[in-house]
Amino acid sequence: MSEKVHAFRCMTCGLVSYPKHAVCPKCRGETFEPTEIAGEGAVLTYTDVYALAVDYETRYLRLAIVELDGGMRVTGQLLDEHPKIGTRVRTVVGVVREPAGKPIYGLQFVPA
Amino acid sequence: MRPVYVIGAGMTRFGRSEWPLVDLAAAASLAALHHADLGKIPVNAVVVANMGAGRINRQTAIASALVDRLSLWPAAAEAVENGPASGASAVKVGYQAIASGMADVVLVTGVEMMRAVDGLEATDFVASLSHPEAEYIYGVTLPSLAGLFARLFMERYGVERRHLALVAIKNHDNAMKNPYAHIHQPVTMEGILTSPEAVVNNPPVAEPLHMFDCCPVSDGAAALVLASQDIAAKLGAPRVLVAGIGQATDTHAVHERQDPTDLKAVRLASAAAFDRAGLKPSDIDVAELHDAFTILEIAESEAAGFFKVGQAHKAVERGETKLTGKLPINPSGGLKAKGHPVGATGVAQLVELAWQLRGEAGERQIAKAKTAYACNFGGFGNNVVATVLRKEER
Repeated sequence: MSEKVHAFRCMTCGLVSYPKHAVCPKCRGETFEPTEIAGEGAVLTYTDVYALAVDYETRYLRLAIVELDGGMRVTGQLLDEHPKIGTRVRTVVGVVREPAGKPIYGLQFVPA
Repeated sequence: MRPVYVIGAGMTRFGRSEWPLVDLAAAASLAALHHADLGKIPVNAVVVANMGAGRINRQTAIASALVDRLSLWPAAAEAVENGPASGASAVKVGYQAIASGMADVVLVTGVEMMRAVDGLEATDFVASLSHPEAEYIYGVTLPSLAGLFARLFMERYGVERRHLALVAIKNHDNAMKNPYAHIHQPVTMEGILTSPEAVVNNPPVAEPLHMFDCCPVSDGAAALVLASQDIAAKLGAPRVLVAGIGQATDTHAVHERQDPTDLKAVRLASAAAFDRAGLKPSDIDVAELHDAFTILEIAESEAAGFFKVGQAHKAVERGETKLTGKLPINPSGGLKAKGHPVGATGVAQLVELAWQLRGEAGERQIAKAKTAYACNFGGFGNNVVATVLRKEER
């Protein structure tokens, strides 16, 4: 499992989209290059979820959708004690799930 | 296309089933078949709506199993899996079979046995419809998508928790009048929001949503018998026409939508259904919406066109969506209180509406209902089927 998270840049029109599509949603191009998701943005919305899926021992998880500078949005785990819509955050990559002791890396957001 | 009529509707009580999966499906099917009273007219096809039998009940090919249980050979049979929109999708498949002339009578049965597994597994089973790399790995579940949606929607349009509570109170009240509902428990504003006990009674599930904003995990089955005009006329059945069906999809990951508060697939599916039916939202007498979470009833009622964007919570406050209001929404109790056996839900919504149009909805009957609308919301709004029914005068 990669410790980087990638978006996909369309080789035809340049649109960066995430997650992956086999066909560009803008120009219908079919060739892409992976581009690392890293940077700053603002919290669009967040939630503390208590209805957890399997693989979690915690009482709740704080999830967020973040709008990165440049406009692309991503979903991930928010590591912020005082969450608020509009808070500036930056992306880090960490273990977001550990099914059967096998770590899965993904996006987390920390105050910028 | 040939016109298609609903000539029979039946369901089991939602909740916890004592029966195995196929018995549950058979019970609802028989209720609908008895309601249709087909006599010697054969059922040409059976369409089963189900999301999780292969995973949670370890049984596959359940449409073949249902045909066998009902001794309906050699009827055609298939199961439709389309997430929480499986029900209305299956109705659409049955509709297409009759409209195209391939069949004259189709049984559509939705069934789900979610309580065969514990709550954690049931939540995870539904969560597996989310985007595997961009959502699921982060611990995304359906309640969390609803929480993310609710916070943004509420902030933008000034919706407060008390508006959500009003939806829950209304739907619990309606369910008190529905013998098929999972939950028969009236709730009050004090009990779930304003009293000190409310903190204990109504714990958070996915902030800002609390327990009484969320549907229960249910077992249940619902069934419709659809027929061509010739068969419906021969039987002299009340003329409940499937006036229009619309369906639309949207991005898998919620974050990828241009405006994540805009339920675009609801908007497009509804517009298509109304267009095919030759009706407008203002023509509708009664609606069943997919209130898996209270916020969705509010948001869907706007996206379907019943209220302007940002206005539905005010209509709820004025009582317009109660049984006695201008547009009663979820007379059955909705997913919130009737229950949400996922594959059965879309069929059950249309069972309720068929009963309403036939004047058979008992204590929750909407007087003189002639037109009805249902929204079956799959995924988190990435696959939506809208259906309009209309009663024809004979």
